[in-house]
Amino acid sequence: METAMSAEAQTRPAFIPALAYKDPRAALDWLERAFGFEVSGVFTDSKGAIVHAEMVHGDGVVMIGGEWEGWAMSPASTDGVNTQRVHVRIAQDIDGHCGRARAVGATIVMGPGDAFYGDRSYVALDLEGHRWTFSQAIKDVTVEEMEKASGFKFSKAAS
Amino acid sequence: MSLVAALIYKDNRAALEWLERVFGFERRMVLVDSDDAIVHAEMSHGDSFFMVGMEWTSWTKSPAALGGVNTQFMHARLQSDIDGHCARARAAGAQIIEEPSDQFYGDRRYRALDLDGHVWTFAQTVREVSTEDMEKASGLTLKTLPK
Repeated sequence: METAMSAEAQTRPAFIPALAYKDPRAALDWLERAFGFEVSGVFTDSKGAIVHAEMVHGDGVVMIGGEWEGWAMSPASTDGVNTQRVHVRIAQDIDGHCGRARAVGATIVMGPGDAFYGDRSYVALDLEGHRWTFSQAIKDVTVEEMEKASGFKFSKAAS
Repeated sequence: MSLVAALIYKDNRAALEWLERVFGFERRMVLVDSDDAIVHAEMSHGDSFFMVGMEWTSWTKSPAALGGVNTQFMHARLQSDIDGHCARARAAGAQIIEEPSDQFYGDRRYRALDLDGHVWTFAQTVREVSTEDMEKASGLTLKTLPK
């Protein structure tokens, strides 16, 4: 693991969400148990406090940190308000994933349920109120079918 | 891609325009309703994308509605010319809150606020640094948590 951060440098995704927690150490443990994320690297200071940490899920990476600046605050400090969210795609067994999260203490606020765009998904609150969406593609849906089912129109260049 | 972030904006149409013009992201997908309101939008950069969302419930707010607070923020990796990216963003109106500088872990990075106050960290790997050198330079310890 000692080389994880430098070895990953070349293959890391172009976008990596960074999440603020009041207690990043508790978050690492909880996110592993409840959602199945794996710790890929942790920087600690001389007192053992976590300065920076990263977790992986499939080919996705998240950064886990504390409330290290006045503008970086956990939802636990904002009455549950989220300014950004994370959607995670699960390859299989979304209902099992949800069951595991619930058993560990996640609050399931929606689902699991099927959506018109072919996903089955659920939404869960983590230990500090970040809202996560987990979804699994369960059937292929064409753009025409999605437009018909939703009444929406897909385009690439709305302006 | 197994993980996608969704950022909350007061005006998703204005956000798409701004993020395209200032940061150089591309529209990947836009979903509009019968009134031509954008109900879902995605922007891409490199092999990755993110969602541009709205304040559609009481618990989703733009940083503009939260005194500039971010509960999550975005780390965007560039392949080349990070200084040029910063200069273009500044010229197009982005507020640069941290100038480009080299980091002990081998990245060069800068930080900017977007139109709604989301904090964006742009980073480019400029050199390979061993774990030992990172620890020596920072005084920190790098490892996984003990199981």
